[in-house]
Amino acid sequence: MFYKLKQKKNNLKKKGKQMERRNFIKSLMMASAAATVATPSMLLANESAKEEAKAAVVKGPNDMPLADAIKAITDGKEVKESDMIKLTVPEIAENGAVVPVKVEVKSPMTDKDHVKSIHILNSKNSNSRCADIMLTPANDKAYFSTRVKLAETQEIIALVALSDGTFMKAGKSIKVTIGGCG
Amino acid sequence: MAEAKKARKAMIKIKPKKYKVGDTVKVDFIAIHPMDTGMAKDKETGKIKPAHYIEDITFSFDGEPFTKMKVWESISTNPYFSVNYKVTKKGKITVAYKDNQGEEVLKTKKVKPKEA
Repeated sequence: MFYKLKQKKNNLKKKGKQMERRNFIKSLMMASAAATVATPSMLLANESAKEEAKAAVVKGPNDMPLADAIKAITDGKEVKESDMIKLTVPEIAENGAVVPVKVEVKSPMTDKDHVKSIHILNSKNSNSRCADIMLTPANDKAYFSTRVKLAETQEIIALVALSDGTFMKAGKSIKVTIGGCG
Repeated sequence: MAEAKKARKAMIKIKPKKYKVGDTVKVDFIAIHPMDTGMAKDKETGKIKPAHYIEDITFSFDGEPFTKMKVWESISTNPYFSVNYKVTKKGKITVAYKDNQGEEVLKTKKVKPKEA
């Protein structure tokens, strides 16, 4: 009889422990569910705070939106998308302050036929211009690499001017997790 | 913060280290420079740090420019720039930059092609 009582006690203990574990797991699930539900709204709050912060921040003297920058460089001339331009950028930039950008253009780089300049532009920083690189045949290859600061997820555009006066471009989108403008 | 008027550091690297006349090498230029956008606040004083960034860079070989760059504050702090160069003879590559506050820095690197 005592044995049965002991068994019962053990079973109850087991059940108790099981219930404890179940409750613990339940509370964990609820907590994580709550967290996942809370995060989107937290993100939204963050976004609107960011927008406000942006608006309140001092604007730089070189502010120029992308369309104006392209117009200033090409003087309104036609710019074609071209796969002769190889633009290498990361798909996701963990650190928006240091985003590597590499541009390579297929070109013989002779006096008669070469890349005159490569213009690195961005779509969402207040100054869309990152760098203008004026090359010469002495470079032998149309190649340029640097690191840029991106305030938020946006596009990087390589606008290329050829020695015959034509323009071409290629662009790639980069997701920025932590903005790079302080 | 009073800054000592020391020349800012910068470095030219030629890759690969061994090359011959006729080879196309990579010329890397790294400069120690804040590249301040003029929009960020100083974390200690809370005041906006004035814009301070490199504006013009000229790469020359024996005094003859072969690459010119115009850059803006969207370039990362302590910037890195890389271009190619075809080695024609022994000489010196010079990289000179000027920033928006008038500071000028000049660095030189010897070009020493191996005998073919």
